[in-house]
Amino acid sequence: MSAKKMDEVNKDFQKGLYTGISVLILLCVVDRAREPIYGYQIAKIIEKDNADIPIIKLGTLYPVLRSLEKDGLLESRIDPSVNGPPRRYYRITELGTGTLGQLLATWDRAKTFIDSLMIGAKDEK
Amino acid sequence: MKNNIEAYLVQLKKELAGCDRATIQDALSDAEEYLRNALANLRETQPGVSEEAVIPSIMEEYGTPIEIAQAYRKIEARSSPSMIIRSRRDKPSWFIRFFYGVIDPGAWGALLYLLFSLVTGILYFTWAVTGVSLSLSLLVLVIGIPFAGIFILSTRGLALLEGRLVEALLGVRMPHRPLFSNTRPGLWNRLKALISDKYSWFTLVYMIMQLPLGIIYFSVFITLIALSLYLVATPVLELSLGFPLFTFPDAQYYLNGWVMPIAVMAGILLFILTLHLAKITGNLHGRLAKALLVRK
Repeated sequence: MSAKKMDEVNKDFQKGLYTGISVLILLCVVDRAREPIYGYQIAKIIEKDNADIPIIKLGTLYPVLRSLEKDGLLESRIDPSVNGPPRRYYRITELGTGTLGQLLATWDRAKTFIDSLMIGAKDEK
Repeated sequence: MKNNIEAYLVQLKKELAGCDRATIQDALSDAEEYLRNALANLRETQPGVSEEAVIPSIMEEYGTPIEIAQAYRKIEARSSPSMIIRSRRDKPSWFIRFFYGVIDPGAWGALLYLLFSLVTGILYFTWAVTGVSLSLSLLVLVIGIPFAGIFILSTRGLALLEGRLVEALLGVRMPHRPLFSNTRPGLWNRLKALISDKYSWFTLVYMIMQLPLGIIYFSVFITLIALSLYLVATPVLELSLGFPLFTFPDAQYYLNGWVMPIAVMAGILLFILTLHLAKITGNLHGRLAKALLVRK
């Protein structure tokens, strides 16, 4: 397989992976913030932790935030800002914290699973 | 090419064509929040940098209008517009559909909304009329203009609240967040934009109209509900309590025994009809709310 093809597959994989776990990412960021946090701040945090490869378009996070609010995992309020448009501040709800716990458990299981596959593959070599 | 925020928003709106209007409004205000904040942030580190120069890189991070429109479409397809489940598309016979009205949460939601609209109508009307007359009379003083601005902003807040109510009970998708006026910062500019925005005036019209509409809805539906309950209760009222059907002018009229089952059935049918009427009226009212409160 050519290097170009490998890159392409890897890129697709990354895109799918990060889209899949965007709910987990957003819940983590909002949960970790001590105070209510608005969309642009969330985007900045994600960008900072992930600066080398801009995989997710930050704009696609906003609709996910909105659907999380609709499902009751986040709640929000609008505050005016001094020099720009009003900002919508998000905060995690009790339901959201509970869901985040479950998602993290799922994530751990997936990680352990992959790790065990890796160990198995090494043993076979 | 698109290299300022306005152009980006126009492009995004174009890409979202065909989506629900409320989704479009949400998408535009999200994009505007990000783009303006990113721009302001960059200007702090590099003062004097022009919008045209930095916007392409900001957009690169945020996503192209096409990508963003896709993301919103995906979410919209996944979530139904309210807690009321939409009725199925395949149509059973009219007979079944008629009786389905009794368990149709949409019909009950609409009925609740219509009865409640008298209360909201009184509140909105009072707020709107008080605000308008105070704004007009204070215009001769210095505080008149800021007062008018604050009043218009308050009506927007109320419109957003009304939207939540309409979406929850009437099942019409309404915006979840306000759309900012596309103006440069500055108190005076914002005020001008508020006053020249036709949706400020539409909101006022809606608030004032809600009172007469609320009165009509309330009286019509209370009458229909009372009448159908009365018809259903005739056997009990006449046979065990001895109430006449009606008294006119002094003579008391009673139903014949054999008419009573018919009266009870008529009462039940009337109630189901009332629910259907509530659903239709609610639907129309939802459209009105959408036309006046949601930016096209």
